[in-house]
Amino acid sequence: MTLRADHVAGAAFVGFGLLVIALSGDLPMGGLSMPGSGFLPKILAGLMIFFGLVLIARAGESRPFAEVEWTDAKHAAAVTAITAAGIAAFELLGFLITMVLLMFLLLVAIERRPLHWAALYSLGVVGLTYVTFEYLLKTPLVTGPFGF
Amino acid sequence: MEGTLHSLLHGFAVALQFDNVWYAFLGCLVGTLVGVLPGIGPLSGISILLPVTFGMNATQAIIMLAGIYYGSQYGGSTTSILMRIPGEASSVMTCIDGYAMAKRGRAGAALCIAAVGSWIAGTFGVVVLTVVAPPLATLAVRFGPPEYTALLILGLIFLAYMSSSSLIRTLLMACLGLLLGMIGIDNMTGHFRYSFNLAELGDGIGIVPVAVGLFGLGEILSTPSNQVVGEVIQPKLRDLLPSRQEWREAAFPIGRGTLLGFIIGIIPGSAHVISSFLSYALEKRVSKHPEQFGKGAVAGVAGPESANNAASTGAFVPMLALGIPTSPITAVLIGALMLHGVSVGPTLVNDHPDVFWGFVASMYVGNLMLLALNLPLVSVFVTVLRIPYAYLYPLIIMFCVIGVYEVNNSIVDVWIMLVMGVLGYWLRKFNFDPAPLVLGLVIAPILEQSLRQSLIMSNGDYLIFFQRPIALVLLGVAGGLLLLSAIALIRHRTDWRTKLAEAEAGEPG
Repeated sequence: MTLRADHVAGAAFVGFGLLVIALSGDLPMGGLSMPGSGFLPKILAGLMIFFGLVLIARAGESRPFAEVEWTDAKHAAAVTAITAAGIAAFELLGFLITMVLLMFLLLVAIERRPLHWAALYSLGVVGLTYVTFEYLLKTPLVTGPFGF
Repeated sequence: MEGTLHSLLHGFAVALQFDNVWYAFLGCLVGTLVGVLPGIGPLSGISILLPVTFGMNATQAIIMLAGIYYGSQYGGSTTSILMRIPGEASSVMTCIDGYAMAKRGRAGAALCIAAVGSWIAGTFGVVVLTVVAPPLATLAVRFGPPEYTALLILGLIFLAYMSSSSLIRTLLMACLGLLLGMIGIDNMTGHFRYSFNLAELGDGIGIVPVAVGLFGLGEILSTPSNQVVGEVIQPKLRDLLPSRQEWREAAFPIGRGTLLGFIIGIIPGSAHVISSFLSYALEKRVSKHPEQFGKGAVAGVAGPESANNAASTGAFVPMLALGIPTSPITAVLIGALMLHGVSVGPTLVNDHPDVFWGFVASMYVGNLMLLALNLPLVSVFVTVLRIPYAYLYPLIIMFCVIGVYEVNNSIVDVWIMLVMGVLGYWLRKFNFDPAPLVLGLVIAPILEQSLRQSLIMSNGDYLIFFQRPIALVLLGVAGGLLLLSAIALIRHRTDWRTKLAEAEAGEPG
């Protein structure tokens, strides 16, 4: 049997539905006349498992899993990793430093742009955004250890 | 009627104040840019700029944010026609014939027809909104929990039925969205649900991080810069006016698209996207020359462009009259008003007439501004499109982070956005449309509360939904739609939705 895209997707939803039911153990279901806080989540998790199984049953219509295009995965993973690092540093270093570093890294490490262009663009764009938010829109941005 | 006119005049007095005109202009300009730029749709645009409105009053905020919404519908056509890249989802159908017209040297005419069609549709939508919303709000006061439950269920089923992806996929997405909406404190019992002792999750997951993650970041992760083609057709200003024959070919599609779009806009769902798909299918069906579709048919531009603008205005009817978000975008707009201390619902028109009528009147002004902006300034917008995508997307990521963080000053929200971005990437790989997920998240609290209140009211008798006429009709329609979808599913029939999905993939035919 060929493993198809919908086999994987359906299994993921069935698994998620089961996880929700497992996590809902201590939430009271209540009755029809007084539904508890677990009432709707458990119904929805049940529906998700049902629809996931239907997806698996009808998976023959989907393309083989091996044909799912992953050529962009490297780019996606790199952007995710750099963005995650930026988020982790955001409240520590503040808006200006974090965003300049984030943009510079994206441009140099992923896009292979020349260093001086990347630095100029990052500083210019982030600086302009900072001035716009701080002074024109009066929306304070996160400050870092140096007070900006 | 006299009262409505009097109130509308009051609205104009509010909308034409200098500050409000300025914010309407700003919203329209930013909206057009949001529509023009691929990878950033109206939802992420509005979410990102939400914090900017904190220094404004409620009227100014809603005028600017709504301007971004309907402005993006205008702007979305520019990239579709000139680059064959939809600036946002509702412009997908315009790509097919708009780009074909541009290849034939009629780019200016296509842009003009799209802009005029959008203006007619937008203005018609506002006129009907002016007339319909206040009486509907009066009627909505009679809506109880069973009616709200039935209406929201109909919205979800309608979205599933209209979706170009399969019924099961849409329902799965809606279930996932509803489940995410269950996170946080249960309002009726005080139980913490799925919050893993994180105080930030006590209030639940916000719409903004989920929407920006799925649509903004998710789109960027799925679009490596080396796959973005930068070829832009530059229209000449003197070629902007369509010929008499082209006007004739556009007239009826604009009329049909306007009516169809407005009706679909009122019904909960991703109205502006669905309406353009349906309008394209309708035009192709009624055309005497269906073989021209895909090769530069004027009706293929005029119909869908009018429909998506009429739908975006139509979506304001249930939002303003009932307080129900019929799409993720209207949900964010409701959220924006709530942040300014204005609760949206049937009482809005009486409690905050300045906000309601000022907003309605500003849309008349905004639609005129957009017409003036989109035609003469098309060359400026084309210049923006020349910025290489490799430089553009880091900028969009920065705005995503600021936009999400500034709403609650919460870094947890930004992490949620990142997780949702990765989820959005995964969903695209497996052909899932994330829009029903966001709609599910938006309506989850209202649906759960009205469902539980209905059952408590009837002492557990679910027949309450069938004993009240309005709820019965709404559920009857939902049942009918489910039945139609189930028949197509069982018979493996290739129906109009599959054909539309093929057209979306660029196989018009």
